[in-house]
Order: sequence, then C-alpha cells, then structure tokens
Amino acid sequence: MMQWMTLFKKELLENWRNVKWIWVPLVIILLAILDPLANYYMPQIIDMAGGMPEGTAFELPEFSPADAVMMSLGQLSTMGVLVIVLMSMGTISGERKSGVSELILVKPVSYWNYVSAKWTSYLLLIWLSLFLGLFVSWYYINLLFGELSFVAFIQVVFFYGLWLTFVISLSIFYNTLVKLPGLVAFLTIATIIAMSGITQVFSHVLAWSPNMIAQHIHEMLLIEQIPGDLIGAAIVTFILSILLIIGATFTLQKKELAN
Amino acid sequence: MEELANINWAIIAPILVIQAILMVVALIDLIRTKETNGPKWLWVLIILFVSTLGPILYFILGRRQ
Repeated sequence: MMQWMTLFKKELLENWRNVKWIWVPLVIILLAILDPLANYYMPQIIDMAGGMPEGTAFELPEFSPADAVMMSLGQLSTMGVLVIVLMSMGTISGERKSGVSELILVKPVSYWNYVSAKWTSYLLLIWLSLFLGLFVSWYYINLLFGELSFVAFIQVVFFYGLWLTFVISLSIFYNTLVKLPGLVAFLTIATIIAMSGITQVFSHVLAWSPNMIAQHIHEMLLIEQIPGDLIGAAIVTFILSILLIIGATFTLQKKELAN
Repeated sequence: MEELANINWAIIAPILVIQAILMVVALIDLIRTKETNGPKWLWVLIILFVSTLGPILYFILGRRQ
C-alpha cells in the first residue's frame, strides 16, 4: 500500500508538472458548453453570417434541457474521447520506450501497483474534469434551456464517467501492448469505432454495450428514472474496465520479463 | 453589427476566459521547457494565432515527455 501511494503521488506530480491538471479540465469544460451555447445562439449566428434568404420556411427547433445535455455529451464523445486518448497515449508506452519504466520496475515494484497507480491518477483527472465540465454545462442549461435537477446532473456525471473510465482503461491496456504512443492512440480509437459499429448493428442484443451508455442517459433524462439497460451497461462497462487493467498488468509483466 | 449587442456577453465571457488561460498556460510552459518537438518559435506562433486548438496541440504534440 505504501508503495502504491508513492507511485500514485509520482503520477499526480508528473501530471501536475506537465500541466495536465490545468489544461484537461479547461478543455473538457470548453467542449461541454460549446454545443449548447452554439445552438442557443444559432439565430444570431445565422443573422451575422448574412441571414437566411427572404421567405425561408425554416423553423429553428426548440431544445429541451435533455437535448442540451446530449449536445454536451456529443462533443465529449467525439472530441473529448480524442483528447483523453491522445493525452494518455504515451503514459506507459512512452516510459517503456525511454527506459523509465525499466528504472522503476527493476526495483521490487509490483506490476499491478505500477499500472493501477497510473490508472487511478488518470481516473481522478478525468472524473474531476468531467464533473467540472458538466457542472458548467448544467449551469448554462438551467439558464438558457430550462430546469434540469441537480440529481439528474449527478446521474449523468456518474454514468458518463463510467464510459470515460472504459476509454482510459482501453488506452492503458494498449499502452502495455505496444511501445509506440501513436499506435496506442490509433488502436484505442479504432477499437472504440469498431465497438460502436458492432453495437449499432446488433443493438437489439447489445443493449448493455458500453457504447450504449450515452443513448441510455438520454432515455433516463426523458423518462426521469434510471432505465434497467443503463444499469446493465454500467455494470458491463465497469467489469470490462477492471478486466482491461488486469489484462494490462499481465501483458506488461510478460513483455518486461521477455526483455 | 447590431447583432453583436444582442448577445449576452456575460454568457460568452467564460469561454473567452478559458481560451485566454489555455493560451497563457501554454506560453508559460513553453518558456519553461528546454526542448520541444519542432522549433520553439513555431509553437509560439501556433499558440498565439490558432485560438483554442493551438494551445491544445502544443500540450499534446509539442511537449517532450
């Protein structure tokens, strides 16, 4: 436990030194509020861009608070996931390439502690960023689109956080598999896209797929209670994340011992 | 430019503030680090003139781990 805390503190210090603790929360906040604000100001933006031709019969849709939440999640699911994958792509692979991980692992440091300390430090960063981002977005939604309860906001953070937990677990798993940071990012994103495709095709049987979480969150906001499928998807996502981290520990062990 | 007056600037201000903080943090970090991927002066230009995306690109690609 002492060893784990030391490694964990090293990770926190490192993420502080490379200013991730500043820029990641800011970028997530920016992504979370971008679409709701852009959609709210769409009439003005269209006017500034020259306005619509005379007699255009085009009604701008009215958005509900639930729609606005989905706009935030939409940006986070694309750009947000990309940012998370890119910022974590070198966390172990980079250290293995430069030999830092060998310096650490040559000491009697357990592989599990090394991997899980990294995982936890990234989770802390991402959950905090997500909370801040959606909090600011929640504030704007209440101001511009209508009321959304605080409980609903916490539920959205909790369930969407699980999806991002899965993303970071996947990235850490690939980090132990290959040494090139760019390849880690590519494999992580390719896997997410492939999973999303498979989930779409077999959506009737894969209701509990991690990719379905955002969709279930929308349902949750509409019916104002937690759908059973969301709980199922949350459990599956959580178990998959844990399995990925255990898998990452084994792969790292095998690769390092082979050297 | 009447439309500009219709926008509630109190609502837009946080976005501008976040962009400014990102830019300043990126510049301070750039000054403090010894080496970057690619020439330093190029990163200064990217951070200053490519709004929002510039600082993010620097944090992801420019810093040497």
